[in-house]
Amino acid sequence: SSALVLCMDVGFSMSNSAPGEEPPFELAKKVIQKFVQRQVFAENKDELALVLFGTDSTKNPLDRDGQYQNITVHRHLMIPDFELLEEIENQVHPESQQADWMDALVVCMDLLQTETKGKKFDRLNVALLTDLSTQANQDHLDVIIENLKQAGITLQFFLPFPAEDDEEGGGDSDRRGPGHPGTGKGLSREQKESLDLVKHVMLSLDEEDGLDQVYTFRDAIEQLCMFKRIERRPMAWPCQLTIGSCLSIRIVGYKAVTEERLKKMWVTVDAQSNQKEDVKRETVYCLDDDNETEVKKDDTIQGFRYGSDIVPFSKVDQDQMKYKHDGKCFAVLGFTKQNLVRRHQFMGSQVVKMFAPKDDEHAGVALSALIRALDELQMVAIVRYAYDRRSNPQVGAAFPCVKQDYECLMYVQLPFMEDLRQFTFPSLENNKKLSPSDTQLSAVDSLIDSMMLVQKDDDDADQKDIFKVHHIPNPAFQRHFQCLHHRAVNPGTPLPPMEPWLKAALERPDVISERCQAPLEEIKRKFPLIEVEKKKKLKTSAQIFGKDAEEPDAKKAKGDEEEDYNLADIAEGSVTSVGSVDPARDFRTLIKLKSLPFGEVCQQLTHRIEQLLSNKNTHYYMKSITCIQAFREQSVKLGNADLYNSYLQSLKRSIPNRRLEVFWDLLVQDAITLISKDEVEGSTVSKNEANQFLVVEEKKEEAAVPSAEDTGDVDDLLDMM
Amino acid sequence: MKSKRKESNLEVVRSVYTSKIISSHRDLVALVFYGTEQSKNPRNSFKYVYVYHDLDEPGAKRVQEVDALRGEKGARLAAETMGSGETSLGDALWCCANLYSDIKLRLSHKRLMIFTCRDEPHRGDSAKDRQARTKASDLKETGVIIDLMHLMKPGGFDVAPFFRDIVSQPEDESELGLHLEPCDKLEDLQKRVRAKEQKKRAMARLNLCLGEGINVAVGIYATAVTARKPAAIRLYRETNEPVRSKTRTFHMQTGSLLLPSEIKKAQTYGKKQIVMERDEVDSIKKFQDPGLYLIGFKPMEKLKTHHHIRPAVFLYPEEGEVKGSACLFSALLMKCSERNVFALCRCVSRRNYPPRFVALVPQREEVDEGKVQFTPPGFNVIYLPYADDLRTLDPPQCPSASQIQVDKMKEIVSKLRFKYRSEAFENPVIQQHYRNLEALALDMMAPEDTEDLIMPKVDQINHRLGPLAEEFKDLVYPAGYNPESKSVAKRKTGVAEKKPKAEVPEDELRAHVQNGTLGKLTVPVLKEACKQFGVRTTGTKKQELIDALTTRLAA
Repeated sequence: SSALVLCMDVGFSMSNSAPGEEPPFELAKKVIQKFVQRQVFAENKDELALVLFGTDSTKNPLDRDGQYQNITVHRHLMIPDFELLEEIENQVHPESQQADWMDALVVCMDLLQTETKGKKFDRLNVALLTDLSTQANQDHLDVIIENLKQAGITLQFFLPFPAEDDEEGGGDSDRRGPGHPGTGKGLSREQKESLDLVKHVMLSLDEEDGLDQVYTFRDAIEQLCMFKRIERRPMAWPCQLTIGSCLSIRIVGYKAVTEERLKKMWVTVDAQSNQKEDVKRETVYCLDDDNETEVKKDDTIQGFRYGSDIVPFSKVDQDQMKYKHDGKCFAVLGFTKQNLVRRHQFMGSQVVKMFAPKDDEHAGVALSALIRALDELQMVAIVRYAYDRRSNPQVGAAFPCVKQDYECLMYVQLPFMEDLRQFTFPSLENNKKLSPSDTQLSAVDSLIDSMMLVQKDDDDADQKDIFKVHHIPNPAFQRHFQCLHHRAVNPGTPLPPMEPWLKAALERPDVISERCQAPLEEIKRKFPLIEVEKKKKLKTSAQIFGKDAEEPDAKKAKGDEEEDYNLADIAEGSVTSVGSVDPARDFRTLIKLKSLPFGEVCQQLTHRIEQLLSNKNTHYYMKSITCIQAFREQSVKLGNADLYNSYLQSLKRSIPNRRLEVFWDLLVQDAITLISKDEVEGSTVSKNEANQFLVVEEKKEEAAVPSAEDTGDVDDLLDMM
Repeated sequence: MKSKRKESNLEVVRSVYTSKIISSHRDLVALVFYGTEQSKNPRNSFKYVYVYHDLDEPGAKRVQEVDALRGEKGARLAAETMGSGETSLGDALWCCANLYSDIKLRLSHKRLMIFTCRDEPHRGDSAKDRQARTKASDLKETGVIIDLMHLMKPGGFDVAPFFRDIVSQPEDESELGLHLEPCDKLEDLQKRVRAKEQKKRAMARLNLCLGEGINVAVGIYATAVTARKPAAIRLYRETNEPVRSKTRTFHMQTGSLLLPSEIKKAQTYGKKQIVMERDEVDSIKKFQDPGLYLIGFKPMEKLKTHHHIRPAVFLYPEEGEVKGSACLFSALLMKCSERNVFALCRCVSRRNYPPRFVALVPQREEVDEGKVQFTPPGFNVIYLPYADDLRTLDPPQCPSASQIQVDKMKEIVSKLRFKYRSEAFENPVIQQHYRNLEALALDMMAPEDTEDLIMPKVDQINHRLGPLAEEFKDLVYPAGYNPESKSVAKRKTGVAEKKPKAEVPEDELRAHVQNGTLGKLTVPVLKEACKQFGVRTTGTKKQELIDALTTRLAA
């Protein structure tokens, strides 16, 4: 875990800004809010303190003899909570004094040293947010730097302006080019001196990359840079890389890239009491018979389909017979050319980086030899990888990675034969009707020219990337935390709209938008795109079942005959309730017979419909629809629309949650809607409403997308069991 | 699909059955013998044709019935039940045509395989030959593909005189499309493939938006998906019949079923419960409507190997949705490929899914010598990581290897070169499962052996390396250094130092609950605390333990 002091300048110069620009104070506050928000929701063990300087009052342990004035320890080191968020929102204001940022830094260091005593922290960090407009006292500079080094305290600076001029292409602050407030405008003498001092301090702490930890407020909001320093490091996975049985190299793997997910799940609570204890979810098993006889879970065993048979195969047997292996493993199967491993065939959800153990330089040299050999030969190792005994082994590739300051192997999972789907698609180029003309191709050419996201620097051979996806924090998290925060602080009010900067960060950069305007117009002219008029693609339920659309009508004509036939059944006493074999027929018979009240018969029918719908199968959907048709027809006949209408309405509401969209489509296609006033006088539904009932849903309708994301992403190897 | 003619073909028939059962068990298969003494077919209108299995989904019973015909005992059984009689391929084909037409379902494709070792089945009876040809062309007209699976015979199997008119010709080839070499097709059939066949189906149809009003309709296809063991089916112990599961949500106190409107969603942080409506939870995730939105282009070298978070998907135009899509798509594909750039897009793949950025990497069509496509044309969609998905590591400072050491390793690498093919490795876990299932279904004594293809061939590797391994070790490792022993020694001390069980006093725990700081405790401590208070938890995740404890101690 880490301990972090947020040290924010609230002095009067922080409120100065050019017209139309947000004052640095507001930006700095936003940086802190975003950061604390994430920390609160992350619920980790990181502790946080907040020190303000430039405050009207003074409140800090070093306050003696008129020294360290106008510096306030607002909050001591502890786990951040909602109160802190509320305090930042309501109690942190611009104030009217100025204080020495170097003094503030000393207060932060003192705080870290006294308040971390007896606790174990992996990382100590101070984040300073200031406009540097006060002159800093440099008397004890060397002592301060020495102390920082000794205590292992890292520093980050957040400023309203970039620390380096754009020509130097400063570190991470290159994402959106222009637009930093304060750029180009002359800094004051104090600011210039202080900036030099900041650089001096940062470079003394880290000669090479010290300046990478100096950010602008705007970058900080968009990229949440503050996390870089305090992030927890992934778990180490020690293993041995083996080549045959004679050569092995000790390695340690770390998960380097993997899709980060929200840790907390939503729990279901009762809408009235908000208690999760009031809600119970239960899964029952029942036989596929008329009564849906329930059976105990213990009375069930598992089986697997083998063609038309289902073979009983108990868990115990399965465990005994299943594939077993020796556990943890990183064994080379052979080496192959890098270009034979295709990028789009990477499998799994992670990249694991393999290093030598920290304390073993022999392993380091051996691994380095392998990495460099692969790099020079443009080859990769194909390996067998098993996380541990319980997880399934994989086949994968270990790519060499040679960076300026480190070397490693990068492991990516590759497909098994069973994973691959060899689809073929019609050729595009050999199709004369489809192939683009030369003028069309040149239009695409100029579009690509105008939309290149890399810019060549004049004096540098390097290309500058103006849209680095891996620098954008996941907007879904940002939005999630924003909404949680809002609901926690203002329960009962609607969720806030999305923050504009969040949306903007996902858009095409302005430079590109402007440049591609004309080429896009050209594309529009050269490539006619006509949306194909959707012929009612959706089939009616009858069509799906291979019947002619006319058939239902034909049946209607025969309706009376059928009912007579049914009467014969009743005479034999065979229909006493709505059964599951032909519920629609039973329903009609019972209505005719009038042996049971209308309401009860309807209830029996809807019960059957619900049973049928729980099957999620088109055959059962079809059967449900005939039931609903019968329900409607009899309701109209008897002039009682209420039961039918209210059932259909509640059914509609439950469609999304029960994933019954397919069924609903059938219903829509068969145009089975509410009973309107025109049909039954007592109905509260107008003809228009009845029509609208199905139409609204139709508009919302979208191509049903089978689960794509849920197919096989596992977060951790352990989950693969 | 049909098959004919017994003898040693039975083994192939068996493997067709067992493969079908696993790859696509919904396919209907029939087994028909011709040239039999007995006749058995619908309406018994054909002599010397014996329908051993009618068109139906295959199962274990059929495999066992085929097995029953094999071997000496099998031959006797076959002689008893079917015997051998006159051959009339025409009648056999006619009978098959009837089998097809008796099926009420619409079949997506029909295939008929003829297994034989006689190139002149009617021994020159031209009337019968003619009848067979007529019947074959009738079948082909109704969309049946006829394949010949002939075995070697002394003197060679001559396809030309009779069978060339019987079998279906490959569409695009003008040459005699027959397998004149009998073996390879049969071998393909004998080699059993235990993998589920997947239908080509778009996961989603989206618009690729280049700019205002420029929408290219595209379909997204999954071309590589982690295959898993098929899901288990729950059976009733007494009868082995499948049971259905129903999940219900009801109110604890009243016992009444809860409607979706009577349920909300909540998360608890510290002591604070945050409650939202169900649709609010969904709406939080919504940024834009589904679709791909072009941001710009980047040179291919900007796509980093390690920027991988999930398997790629494949993009192909949907001319049926927006006319003109294929042309613009094709132009983009050609130009991106020519200029070696990829398209960067923002992607919302489904309703209420937050956006992700993806790289559309061009892939030109590739065909083999036989003009068969092995790489389809389209864009591969590579999902890119956000800042949160990249983890910060502290790489150790290690010395680099010298050129001599690197060169020695190069020798090792060169010795162990092979040509990687993605389809070369079978998943031993799934293969074992299918073999186990087969053994149980077919009452076999033991499952067939699974070859673990992802096991290093240690002996071969050692042999190929020869003295190189030792030479390399001498170059990098000091005398007495053993990479294997170290970690073992470490583990031993680890066991010895195993910490005593951690317990936290009750009041301290309560304080943690009060302050919402339970997260500071470690999982073993939390587990211990759960035991201490008799809290039963099903989960082992830290958050679940914390939630359980909080509920108990806050009450």
